[in-house]
Amino acid sequence: MPPPRILLADADAFFVAVARMVDPAGAGKAPLLIVGGTRESRGVVCSASYEARQYGVRSAMPIARALKLCPKATCVPVPMKACGKVSREIRSVLMRYAPVVEASSIDEWYMDLGGTEAIYHNESLRATAHRIRSAVKEATGFSVSIGGGTNRLIAKLAVERGKPKPATTADGVHVVEPGDEGSFVSTFALADLPMVGPKFQERLAALGLRTVPDVLARDVVTLRRQLGTNAADWLWERVHGIAGAEVEGRGAPKSMSRDETFPVDLVTDEDLERELLRLVTRVASDLRQGGYAARTITVKLRDNDFRTRSARLTLADPVVTDRVIMSVATELLHKLRRSRRMPARLIGVALSSLADDPGADQLGLFAAEDPLQETERDLTIARAVDRVRERFGSRGIVPGALIE
Amino acid sequence: MRFTIAREKLQEALTNVAPAVPAKTTLPVLANILVEANERGVRFSGTDLDVAVSIEVPADVEVPGALTLPAKRLGEITRELPPAPVKIAALGEQRATLECGRTKFKLLGLPRDEYPAFAPVEFNTGWRVKSSVLHELISRTAFAVSTEESRPILNGVLWEVRDKLLRMVATNGHRLALMESPVEVGPGATGDFIVPPRALDQVRRVFPPEEEIEIGKGENHLAFRSPIASVSTRLIEGPYPNYDQVIPRDNDRFAIVDRPSLVSALRRMSVVASDQTHRVKLSFNTALLKFTVQTPDVGEGQDEIPVQYTGDALDIGFNSSYLLEILRYMPSDEVRFTFKTAERAATLLPENWAGPGKYVCLVMPLRLVD
Repeated sequence: MPPPRILLADADAFFVAVARMVDPAGAGKAPLLIVGGTRESRGVVCSASYEARQYGVRSAMPIARALKLCPKATCVPVPMKACGKVSREIRSVLMRYAPVVEASSIDEWYMDLGGTEAIYHNESLRATAHRIRSAVKEATGFSVSIGGGTNRLIAKLAVERGKPKPATTADGVHVVEPGDEGSFVSTFALADLPMVGPKFQERLAALGLRTVPDVLARDVVTLRRQLGTNAADWLWERVHGIAGAEVEGRGAPKSMSRDETFPVDLVTDEDLERELLRLVTRVASDLRQGGYAARTITVKLRDNDFRTRSARLTLADPVVTDRVIMSVATELLHKLRRSRRMPARLIGVALSSLADDPGADQLGLFAAEDPLQETERDLTIARAVDRVRERFGSRGIVPGALIE
Repeated sequence: MRFTIAREKLQEALTNVAPAVPAKTTLPVLANILVEANERGVRFSGTDLDVAVSIEVPADVEVPGALTLPAKRLGEITRELPPAPVKIAALGEQRATLECGRTKFKLLGLPRDEYPAFAPVEFNTGWRVKSSVLHELISRTAFAVSTEESRPILNGVLWEVRDKLLRMVATNGHRLALMESPVEVGPGATGDFIVPPRALDQVRRVFPPEEEIEIGKGENHLAFRSPIASVSTRLIEGPYPNYDQVIPRDNDRFAIVDRPSLVSALRRMSVVASDQTHRVKLSFNTALLKFTVQTPDVGEGQDEIPVQYTGDALDIGFNSSYLLEILRYMPSDEVRFTFKTAERAATLLPENWAGPGKYVCLVMPLRLVD
């Protein structure tokens, strides 16, 4: 069998590029740009321009801290709708070139080009990657970098080498030839490997392991003793460039969620309930639009000391209506608040255990006396609300409690 | 505490008690078994605070006393011991030696005082029942309890204890099993109890069918005892749904179906049914029952079996796993199905069954939305 041909396309500074596109006069003219929220907001950095990154600004850093490092930066909120639109455009170009495309995030797509050798007249994977890169640029105006190799790990590491960052000679594509995986991976630090987070890095550093060659110098038996079998075997495979190559096309979503970081910490249960209602209204609408029903409801709360807690409940029957989802979510919120009552900075709600067979509707024996079972009335209201939203948009009809 | 016990007796006691010991617990002493030696023998007890099991076995007790020993280790050691008498002796409050032939162990336990006291239960209700009666009631109903956390009340089996009758009901809100049996009960015992199925499993394991069991009531507990064993359980609190109201009494379509053929056909159809809803369409006609499954992304299946059917033709959807489960516990070879409409509860009853009392199962249909 020919070796797998996996590519990873990564949109260059995606959020920054989209922010510049939607706001050419502001963000478009600011070399030091932080995307994530306004200067006053308490959000986190979603992305920063290469220039701002040189000041130490990193994604997921609170904006206030980023501004201490880079005080002159221009801060703009994430242009979420535009990002989604551009993401879909890039994806549709990729789908013209690769039989299987898996979006691993809004700005990263794995492609499996297995079996396409003849279609591309046996040109090198590198040449095909360049062909795809040019097509994306031409069709969307956005740049992607592409990494390639025989598995997802290699493609992911290669794309970082391919990015045309300042002070590199990279041309946007880096493909690792079959057989070169080991020597390629041995040029990385362990911190560069996906899934090796700060805590694992600390553990590894305590054992004197910082780079891939540090690990290669040990034997797997010693590693197993030091790290435990699972972690040791996992790491051993990664440092030898071994990883999965499965790229999955768009499957059904496993969950749907919404969350919200408040501009000011919320203190009272009433305020939190109102925010919860806002999120439930949105996520339940997403759920019905997608044609799904959910059995598990999870509420997430982040207190002002950044401790994040969640509570969940799985129902006997899948549900779709705001009333049932809200009554479960409210109960979960109260449970979280009873165990720890602190000002909260974020609340989120997620729906999971999504039902795959909405054509069948299990009837209940005690529907009339169980408040967590949806009645005909609930479903009728939901359908009516959805019809209003189809015509007048998501704000065409909202719960009374949310009218300010 | 010092006693000598036959290895088989020790093994028997531990096998009975071990399932009551929780696999994970935040209270370390609960991972232990309470060992109490008295003049009659040795009593072994385990509990997870909800369900408690104790067994008394004969032993040659030299010095009475008590301590707790780690359940898992004690069980593993006993399983590996040679067939010889086992001597167990306490060394102070929380250590013991175990000797068997030339094998010797020293085990670290915890003092007896740290073990939780069992809830007080009154056995003056005059309520006695043959174990086999409970076995039958439990096995034909407990399968129907809910395992969902959203309605804890449905996680238990409802016991309705009446003057001359014991009725058990279990449901998950979609299907329900009800069985009743004539039982002599003293007036002090009547009442409704919601019993966790885990406790009922222990009752079935601990008491052999031929044994006579005495049942006692506590504040929020029910306890079962024979001369040598006892099981006690915390009850689930809250009002049980009004199950009687949902038992259909006006179903006017009937089918008599051969149980083995129905089971085979449903099992075949289930292969292509949705993994989540297990939906199968049943079409009843005068002499024929047709099965249809259509699952997007999977495929289709059809089958048919002969039936005796009375009433207008009927198409009705079901979760096939609910039907199969009920059919597994039906005590007769022929089953009577009754229906009203495709949206109302269907009942399944044993046909030509000579058992005492009454057995009925309900299952709600799946509404088929096209």
